[in-house]
Amino acid sequence: MVNSKEESTTKKDLLIVGFLCNWCSYGGADTAGVCRFNQPTDLRIIRIPCTGRMDPLFVVKALIYGADGVLVSGCHPKDCHYNEGNFYARRRLEVLKQFLPFMGIHTDRFRYSWVSSSEGRLWQQVVTEFSETIHGLGPNPGVHGESDAKAGMSFYT
Amino acid sequence: MEDKTKTLQREFLKVFEKLEVVLGWEPGYDSLHATPSFIRQAKDLNKLVWNPLCSQNLCTYLVKTLNASVRKDDKKIGICVKGCDSRSLVALIQEKFITRETFYIVGIPCEGTVDWRRLMRIEPSLKDVQKVDIQGNELEVETAQKTYRFPLQQVLEQRCLHCRYPNPIIYDCLIGEPITPHIGDDQAYGDIEKIEQYSLPDRLKFWEKELDRCIRCYACRNACPLCVCRDSCIAETRTPKWLSQRCDLKEKFFYHMIHAIHLAGRCTECGECERVCPMEIPVTLIKKKLNQIVKDLLDYEAGIDPQKQPPLLTFDPGEKGI
Repeated sequence: MVNSKEESTTKKDLLIVGFLCNWCSYGGADTAGVCRFNQPTDLRIIRIPCTGRMDPLFVVKALIYGADGVLVSGCHPKDCHYNEGNFYARRRLEVLKQFLPFMGIHTDRFRYSWVSSSEGRLWQQVVTEFSETIHGLGPNPGVHGESDAKAGMSFYT
Repeated sequence: MEDKTKTLQREFLKVFEKLEVVLGWEPGYDSLHATPSFIRQAKDLNKLVWNPLCSQNLCTYLVKTLNASVRKDDKKIGICVKGCDSRSLVALIQEKFITRETFYIVGIPCEGTVDWRRLMRIEPSLKDVQKVDIQGNELEVETAQKTYRFPLQQVLEQRCLHCRYPNPIIYDCLIGEPITPHIGDDQAYGDIEKIEQYSLPDRLKFWEKELDRCIRCYACRNACPLCVCRDSCIAETRTPKWLSQRCDLKEKFFYHMIHAIHLAGRCTECGECERVCPMEIPVTLIKKKLNQIVKDLLDYEAGIDPQKQPPLLTFDPGEKGI
């Protein structure tokens, strides 16, 4: 990833995990890199074969264990390399996105997007936007080991 | 209720030679408990009972214990289901773990089952219980000494207070008359709304507080009729290693997320996870929230229509908005 120097000195890097589909978004990120588009440096990319491989629990695990944001990106619906992977993915990811706030995790810490491998510009835009959102939210407070729980307390009584 | 027990036994006796085993309830280790019963001989049928203590969801045993998809002969499995249990049965049929033809289903419209922990909290001295029965809006508990009456709201299980399906969805034989649900569809998610009134950090604190009590006994998973991974549950597998043995909040939190997300769009809200939780963590709420999302987003409720496919196991290319 190309780094803009002034950005890295003014802002502390946060940890954003990106799950990118091998066929589209990973290529898109590559295109953005080859074209030398400036991108924020918070993103750590994990390549997955298809967004259909995306277990929502990957996102949850990353967020619980301290990632500040998770970005999932794949082929545009109807453009999936395996025809249908991202149709499954979008349902699962949308359910997850709506579910996270219930557990106290900010919904904006997770985003899914569709970027094809020719869309370097769009990729730059998605990463920049998402990175700004995460910086706006600040570091993920996460799930703490220590809490003031008392055994025997019950929600209902 | 006595006569329902009798009717239940009689109905099973009528068809017993066609059945391999009957799943029902029998009196438990004390008078405030019923326990699941597997009856293989006609002479044991008189053990069967039906009363407000019969809280176990017997569908839990179908996949894990009985392996009901594999039948040696053409004998059926007889099973008693309450309204909520029947939804689990339908969900298992939908996911092709079992087939409808394998079962002789006796449905029992249910006015709610008793949470003995709540009961004991109200009346810790309760002992020598002889009979437990629901009369109108009250639970009648007869002991050797006297008869107690408790308002149902105070002693029923949480799932029963929010029950929209007291009547079995599918059955071959119905014991008693169908009853009308206590609450309407609009109030079904009242308990979730209570949490949603909290701010985001407060919700996290709430769940941290609740889930920190978890001792990871996995009772909620074991009691869940739709947790069908059996030995390959990712909470316990070493490859892939999703969870460590470490005892801290992150692991507990994540374990419950695994359980909930694996049940997204599948959970039939039978409330077994919460009933069996030794630490009384309101884990059903997490699953209910997911159900609410799936209902709003994909217009689907699990365990209602045997022909429908769970929406997260399928897709629709034309769908808008996501």
